Amino acid sequence: MLSRVAESLFWMSRYFERAENTARFLDVNFNLLLDLNKITHIENPNYWVALILVTSDRERFNNLYSEYSAQSVTDYLVFNKNNPNSIISCIGLARENARSIIESISSEMWEQVNNLYHYLQNITPQFVHNDPYSFYKEIKNASHLFQGITDNTFSHNEGWDFIQIAKYLERSDNIARLIDVKYHMLLSEAQSQPEIVEGSEDIIQWMAVLKSCSALEAFRKVYLSKIDPDNILRFLILDRTFPRSINFSVCAAEDALWRISGSSRHRYVNNADRLIGKIEAELSYTAMEDIYAKGLHTYLEDLEQRLVKVGEQVHLTYFAYHTPDIESSDIAEALPFTGVAGGRANWSQAQQHQQQQ
Amino acid sequence: MSRFFERYEADPSHFFDEVIAPDGIPRSHYDKLLHRFGQFSIDDVKARREVVNIFFRNQGITFTVYGEEEGVERIFPFDLIPRVVPAHEWQTIEKGLVQRITAINEFLYDIYHTQKILKDKIIPPELILGSQHFRREFVGVTPPLGIYIHVTGSDIIRDKEGNYLVLEDNLRTPSGVSYMLQNRQAMKRAFPVLFDKYKIRPIENYPQELLRTLQEISPNSRREPNVVVLTPGIYNSAYFEHSFLARQMGVELTEGKDLVVNDNKVYTRTTRGLERVDVIYRRVDDAFLDPLVFRPDSKLGVAGLVNAYRKGNVTLANAIGTGVADDKVIYSFVPAIIKYYLGEDPILQNVPTWLASNPSDLKYILENLGSLVVKAANESGGYGMLIGPESTIEQQESFAEMIVANPRNYIAQPTISLSRHPSFYNDTELYGCHIDLRPYVLYGKTVTIVPGGLTRVALKRGSLVVNSSQGGGSKDTWVVDE
Repeated sequence: MLSRVAESLFWMSRYFERAENTARFLDVNFNLLLDLNKITHIENPNYWVALILVTSDRERFNNLYSEYSAQSVTDYLVFNKNNPNSIISCIGLARENARSIIESISSEMWEQVNNLYHYLQNITPQFVHNDPYSFYKEIKNASHLFQGITDNTFSHNEGWDFIQIAKYLERSDNIARLIDVKYHMLLSEAQSQPEIVEGSEDIIQWMAVLKSCSALEAFRKVYLSKIDPDNILRFLILDRTFPRSINFSVCAAEDALWRISGSSRHRYVNNADRLIGKIEAELSYTAMEDIYAKGLHTYLEDLEQRLVKVGEQVHLTYFAYHTPDIESSDIAEALPFTGVAGGRANWSQAQQHQQQQ
Repeated sequence: MSRFFERYEADPSHFFDEVIAPDGIPRSHYDKLLHRFGQFSIDDVKARREVVNIFFRNQGITFTVYGEEEGVERIFPFDLIPRVVPAHEWQTIEKGLVQRITAINEFLYDIYHTQKILKDKIIPPELILGSQHFRREFVGVTPPLGIYIHVTGSDIIRDKEGNYLVLEDNLRTPSGVSYMLQNRQAMKRAFPVLFDKYKIRPIENYPQELLRTLQEISPNSRREPNVVVLTPGIYNSAYFEHSFLARQMGVELTEGKDLVVNDNKVYTRTTRGLERVDVIYRRVDDAFLDPLVFRPDSKLGVAGLVNAYRKGNVTLANAIGTGVADDKVIYSFVPAIIKYYLGEDPILQNVPTWLASNPSDLKYILENLGSLVVKAANESGGYGMLIGPESTIEQQESFAEMIVANPRNYIAQPTISLSRHPSFYNDTELYGCHIDLRPYVLYGKTVTIVPGGLTRVALKRGSLVVNSSQGGGSKDTWVVDE
C-alpha cells in the first residue's frame, strides 16, 4: 500500500479518536460540576484548567482567552479552529485525510466522516450550552459508528491495521494524560484543603475519571463499590480486558503492528514492534507497587513519552520511506499530543489549482 | 409533440437548434425522446431530477471553484434532456478526429525531431520556437511508439448551418471524462424506459480502453506494466476525476510525494518499500512535473522524473511538450498540418482565426473588438478571454493594450453562435442553451474514441461559456444507431 495512503488512514483514525476523547473529557466535566456545585464553590476554574492541561496546550489557550470558564474552555476545545486539537479541527482533519484517500476507503466510511463534519458546521455554542449531554453523546456515537462501519465495510488487511494502531496509540496516550492531570489536581487540592481529600468530592472526582472512559460500570463489576484511587488506577492502567484501559489499548496496537510486519513475541522486525512489545511486556508484569515506587506522575509521563516514540517509529518505518523533510515546524506545532508529523503537509494549495483544459 | 416542447422557441434564424429543424418539425432522431417526455408531468420530471441529484450527491461528484473561500465543492450541474447524435454524424466526427489527432501527433514528432515543417516554411519558426510550451530539451527524445498525445479532448461546436467545427484541441491534460461516464449512469437510473427505446452505443469501457492505451506505451515489455495516475492533490478542481479514473482502472492514485526517482527509475513509496513504475498518467502540468528541470518551487512534482523519462525508463501520458500544438496560434495552422503530413483535406474544419502576430490581422482585431472573441494563446478553462458583444468599453480597451503589448499571445475568432439545445432550467420550462461537445480520443497502438463524449451546456441564459469553472453544466450524449 502507498505510504501516503497508510499515513492518511492512520491520521484519519487518530484525529477521530482524539475528537471522541475530547468530547468525553468535556462531557464528564459538565456532569462533575453539576454534582460538585452542591458541595463546593461553583465554577471552580480548576476543573476547567484541568481540561486544558490534559491537552497540554495551556500557552495557546492563554493567548486566546483571559479566563478559565465553562464558556471559554468549551469554545476552545469544541469550536476554535486555531486550536488544532479542537473537536471541529480534529473532524476537519480526519475528513481531509479521508478525502485524500477517498478511492481507498469504503464510501460508507467517507459518508460517516462527511456527515459528522457537516453536522458540526451547523452547531452553535448556544446549542452546546443548552444541551451538552446530547451534543457530546452525538460525537461519541458518531465515533463509534465510524469504527463499526470501518470494521464492517473495510477489508481487514494492512490498511485496517494502520487504523487500529492509530486509534489505540491515541487512546492509551489520552487515558494516561487524563489520569495524570486528575491525580495532580487532587493532590494539590489535598494540600490546600486537607479536610476534603477523603471526602465525597474526592470520590465523585474519581467516579468522573471512570465515567469519562465509560468505565464506571465495568469497574463496578470488578471491584464492586469500592471506589478508591488504588483500584481505579489499577483498572485504568493495568486491566487487560477493558477497551479503554491503557494495557488493553497497548495490546491492541501491538497486535496490529505485528500483523503488518509479521513480528511475534519472540522476534521483532522493526523498532516500532520492539518498542510497543517492550511497553506491553512491562505492563503485563507491573503491579501498583511498582508504579507508586516510581511515582505515578513520573510513571505516566514516561509512558506517554514511550508511546510518542512508538508513533515516531511507525512513521519512520512505514510512512517516511526515503522522505527527507516531511516534518516541518508548523505541523509539529499542530500536534502537541505526539510530536510526530500528522495529517497532510500544509504545502501550497495554490499550486494544485492548475487551470483545467 | 410533448407539452414541454410546445412552448419551446427554437430561434432558427440566429442559431442551429439540435432538436427542432428550421421548419419547426423535430429532427427524426429526437422523435422517441419527445414522445417519452410528452408522457411526463412536471412532477414526473421532478421525481427524475431527484433520482439524478441523489445519485450525484452519493457519488460525491463535485468540482472545486477557485477563488472562493476554501475552494467550495459543488455538484456539477446536470441537464436532464440528453443530446442525441445520429450515427452518420458521429462517423464524420470520428473520422475527422482520427485524422486530426494523427496529423497533430506527426507534427509533434517532427517539431521534436527534424523540424521539416519549419524548414518547408509551412509555419513560421518563431511561432514554434518562441512558444512557452515548446520544450527544446526534448528535441531528439522519442517517446514509445512515437506517440505524444495519448489522451485528448477536442472541443467541437456547430455553427449556424450545423457544421461541426473544432474549437480547441486540448492536448495536455483534458478533463471531464468522469462526468461523461457518470452522466450516463445517472440517465440509466432516471430514464430506463427511454433508454430502452434507443440503440445507444455504450461508453462504459472507457476506463478499460484508457488502461489498455497506457499499458501499450509502457517502456518495459518484460513485465506487466505498473501504471499510476499522478494528481496535483485534493485541492485540484478535477481531483474527483483523478481519483475516479484510478479507481475505475484499478491503479494507484499518486501525488508527487508518493513517487521517488532512484538511478533514473521511478518508484512508488509503499509500506513495503519501493515499487517500480512504468507509466504515469499525469494530470499535472509540464511546469510542475520536476522541480529540477521546470519550476524549482514546484511541490507537486518528482525530482529527477524528467531524466527518468528522457532515459526511457518511464512513459508520461501525455508526453512533455504537447502544449506547443494546442497553443491557440498553432491551432490556426492545423488544417495546413493535416494537408502537409497526410496529404488530405481536413474532414473537420477550424473556426476562422485571426492572429494578432500578423500585422494585417492585428489591425482587423483591434478595429472589431466589439464583435470578436479574443483569447490568450496559452490559457484554458475559459480564463483570459474577451467576448466582444458581452464586454464593456473598458474591458475592450484593456484587452487592446494587452494585445498590442504582446501580439504573439493573442488570437481572435468571430463570435460563433454555438448550436442550441433545449434544456431544463427549473424543471418546468425548456430553454435553448448553447452547447459544445468534447469527445475523448485515446492514442496507443491505435486511435480509439468512445462514441459520444461530454456535451457541455451553458446553463446561464444566453451565455456562451460552457466551462465548468464558469458556471457551465453538462448533458448525457447519445450516439444512436438508426
